[in-house]
Amino acid sequence: MIMLLHLAARNLWRNRRRTLLTLSAMVVSLALLTLSLGVFSGMLVDILSSTTEQYHGHLVITAEGYLDDRDMYKNFSADPALFSRLQQDQAVRGLSPRIRGFGLVSYQESSYPAELLGVRPEMEKSVTNLQTQLIAGVFPTDEDTEGAVLGSGLAKKLGVSPGDELVFVTQSADGSIGNDLLIVRGIFRTGHSGHDNSLVLVPQQWLQQVMALEGKLHEIALSVQYPLQAAEDAQRIATLLPAGLTATDWGVLLPEMREAIASFDVSRFIFVIILYFATGLGILNTIFMSVMERTREFGILMALGMRPFQIRLTVLLECLLLGLIGTALGLILGLLLSSYMALVGIDLSSWITPITYAGGTIQPRLTAIFEQRNFIDPAYMLLLVALLAGLLPARRAARLQPVAAIRED
Amino acid sequence: METLRLAWRNVWRNRRRTLITIIAMSFSLMLIQAFHNLSFGVYAQMVDSGVRSGSGHIAVYRGDYAVSRDDRLFWNLGKMTGLEDKIAKLEGIKAVLPRIYLPALAQSSRESRGILLTGIDPQAEDKINPLLKSIDAPSLLRSLDGRDALVGSRLLTELKLKVGNKFVVTAQGPEGELVSELLRIRGLVQSGIRDVDSSLVMVGRKRAAAMTGQPDAIHELAIILENPALEKKLIPVITKLLPPKSNLRAVSWELAMANLANAIKLDHASQKFIFFIIVLIVTIGVVNTLLMSVMERIREFGVILAVGATPGRLRATVMTEALLLGAVSMLFGNLLGTLATWYLVEIGIDLRDFIPETMEFGGVIFDPVMRAGWDVGYMLQMSAYVLLLSVIASLYPAAKAARIAPAVAMRHH
Amino acid sequence: MPKRFILLLIPLVLLPSPLWATDLQGLVRKVEQQYMGLSSKSRMEMSVRSEHWQRSLMMDSWSLGREYFLIRIIAPPKERGVTTLKADKEVWNYLPKVDRVIKVPPSMMGGAWMGSHITNDDLVKANKIDEEYSFSLLEETAEHLLIECLPQPDAAVVWGKVIYEIRLPQEVPGRVTYFDEEMIKVRELIFDEVQKIDDRFIPLRMTIQPTDKPDESTVIRYSELKFNTGIDQSFFSLRNLKR
Repeated sequence: MIMLLHLAARNLWRNRRRTLLTLSAMVVSLALLTLSLGVFSGMLVDILSSTTEQYHGHLVITAEGYLDDRDMYKNFSADPALFSRLQQDQAVRGLSPRIRGFGLVSYQESSYPAELLGVRPEMEKSVTNLQTQLIAGVFPTDEDTEGAVLGSGLAKKLGVSPGDELVFVTQSADGSIGNDLLIVRGIFRTGHSGHDNSLVLVPQQWLQQVMALEGKLHEIALSVQYPLQAAEDAQRIATLLPAGLTATDWGVLLPEMREAIASFDVSRFIFVIILYFATGLGILNTIFMSVMERTREFGILMALGMRPFQIRLTVLLECLLLGLIGTALGLILGLLLSSYMALVGIDLSSWITPITYAGGTIQPRLTAIFEQRNFIDPAYMLLLVALLAGLLPARRAARLQPVAAIRED
Repeated sequence: METLRLAWRNVWRNRRRTLITIIAMSFSLMLIQAFHNLSFGVYAQMVDSGVRSGSGHIAVYRGDYAVSRDDRLFWNLGKMTGLEDKIAKLEGIKAVLPRIYLPALAQSSRESRGILLTGIDPQAEDKINPLLKSIDAPSLLRSLDGRDALVGSRLLTELKLKVGNKFVVTAQGPEGELVSELLRIRGLVQSGIRDVDSSLVMVGRKRAAAMTGQPDAIHELAIILENPALEKKLIPVITKLLPPKSNLRAVSWELAMANLANAIKLDHASQKFIFFIIVLIVTIGVVNTLLMSVMERIREFGVILAVGATPGRLRATVMTEALLLGAVSMLFGNLLGTLATWYLVEIGIDLRDFIPETMEFGGVIFDPVMRAGWDVGYMLQMSAYVLLLSVIASLYPAAKAARIAPAVAMRHH
Repeated sequence: MPKRFILLLIPLVLLPSPLWATDLQGLVRKVEQQYMGLSSKSRMEMSVRSEHWQRSLMMDSWSLGREYFLIRIIAPPKERGVTTLKADKEVWNYLPKVDRVIKVPPSMMGGAWMGSHITNDDLVKANKIDEEYSFSLLEETAEHLLIECLPQPDAAVVWGKVIYEIRLPQEVPGRVTYFDEEMIKVRELIFDEVQKIDDRFIPLRMTIQPTDKPDESTVIRYSELKFNTGIDQSFFSLRNLKR
């Protein structure tokens, strides 16, 4: 066995050009395959991130039924013990408690309906990314007791810019008219008309007071390590919650997103078929041929006493060795290329503006994501193809009569 | 000619290898064509249903309504004598849909909700607007100024009403005062999109417009074309028909529905990138194949060179072989691609098979069946690439062949 | 006066409907106007019991006919100074804390006024009952008249039917019951504590009772009430709103 292995290795080395040729085909193909899968995954995660990280978060914890009608009375008390339990969960990356109110925002003579989200800025930044989409002013700090950021559409309709004073009027929880002043600190533009035209981020304590809901929250928004696994995370997190609270993942919050991902998966599936196919056939061809052209050589070996099964085994070992080396190098190259895309990527913003798609906004650029399956699956496939490719010609060669084999050319 | 025959024979000498290469190239071509046509078809579907319930392929708005959606930017269709008809008579126009959109409050005896009161011409929108697909709009909204209304399915529940009940709509009138109207629910609209279903109320456009004080007021004239490609040509034509000082503009759906346009552009960009990679992979395979075939014929080439053939001739032979491979692959690939496209056009891919639960798909705006379209230009383009590719892939192997030293070559093996 | 009035009514019942329908209209208008007087000033106390809160407000209120009123909150201190102005079909609120006058837009008309069971919309539509309905007499006893009010075909009214009770002999509203289109009772307004002020009989207390929430109610009670105070339309201005 060892001898055959030795033989296999020497065979590969002996015909360096052929080996190198086959190897290079394998390496480059595998690298490109993993790269494109990475870009594909990158697109998906990008779409998912921009959809969920703009406003919803990957997961929200709310009182039961709150998400159906956003009834302000379906609130719960802020509990620091719950926060820390949540933060200790392995998947949770960020946590933001929120309170939500609806009412009128008014500046001078104009008033418009708005949705106010009372947040703690530093915590909110760990879940959403509105702070990266400011077109004017700054994002408030935790110490700011009356600062607000609002969407560009709303700001334009009201005619406000940073520094201006807004009035907010709402029905508060005790029946009175809740009203207070806000100062515009910044203006964001997400490209999502719903948010840009009606969303205002305000200090949490301020809103709790205006709504007469001191110490109360409507939701805890969470960001998780792997957004695509949010549904499983939601199930696990549900066990940490007291009675009356539920955890809901983005798939339920944004059903249009699930539709988009479903059709995306179909596309990906088709692409994967194309890519595997093209790659597989190329490798198959190469290996196949390189074994075929050594039929004569095998004939000589058999004439010299080597047994058929040994021939087969040798060929398979060669293919295995080739496959392993090719896979290893291909993975390395693929990693390098993917790293470049992940870190640098390709920027398309010069000819595409941010897009609203399925409830979120996508930034126009191409990037790659590292997902295990984008590397493991193609690697396995390559090995498999390499082995299969050697199988047939090896069998054929082994079955020939030595004299016939020697005569082949 | 001689070269061709020779090349052809050479190609088929190693049947297995040739077949494998042809299969690889033609299948890749088929998949690229089929997939592109599929997304081509899906985009066309998305744009089509989008423009029919949205802005039309071309829309006429006042001022910057396309972007600002300021409900104060309504204009009086009645004062533009015959504009609707003049546009409808242009060649290539399928429908002209006047609409008005007013933010308002809907009230029942128990609840009230904010809505978008949408005034339409039911006769014109019938058969065209996908939101009205499953109902007979003209029989439900019986006139342009009647009190019949179609209500979003979620809104109905939230107002605690049933079909047949009345409700009151209140909006801001021309002088800032509150104007209320009585409406009666005659049917439901179910789009599957939560926001639409909980805030849509459709009425005859004159009833809605009456609340602005001008019964012929509209915000939008949505123009549906027979063929989307006519858009560029028709915009200037329509613009000429608009009264000069009216501040009216004819805009493309790409401006009025920028989100849709951009989503498609982004998808295109990533498609190009992926295809580039596929081409690269296929090229590598082909180069490899050709190289192999040259390698194994070194001795033979040596002999040929020795008996007087020029290196150039040898190079030509190799390249011709490649070209033939490419040509056959191209033909076969096109055939397969056409068949695949035909299947995807007629039958398509039903996304419902891929979604685990029965999700309400909306069906209206988002058709659950992905259908391909015929982008023949693209298919031909890709075919040409296959040929080009085979020629390019042959350059290195051909060069190698030409550089063979006959004496060394003949001693090979 | 009352006795004569009743005598008048009996033959009216026997007359064909249009004739006494018009009179009923007039009667209802009369009753409503009696309640408002020409101009008035009053102090009211409003108690609200609802699922989410219990409130008690003390307010000063001025009115003119059916088109204008101004209501200013005196107590509790947290809400002191909040003022509502209605002029015809528009409603404004003044909020002293932010020193702002906000006009109530259509989107907020469905909202509760000051956290009560009265909606902003009710304020605007109040006392138009005789304009948008047609009337018929349901029942007549020595104690009361029950008048069925059905909305005119195109009236912008959410109710299916309103039953208006006029207490006799004072000719003041007793119970007003609101039904939806399916003729299911939705809410009831109950007037009692009738007293004579300035020559008119006025119920000093009004209770609003939503039918599907029996634990909830809004009760408004006048503690002082004066008519013909001499104010005119100019009083009901945005400037006064702020004072």
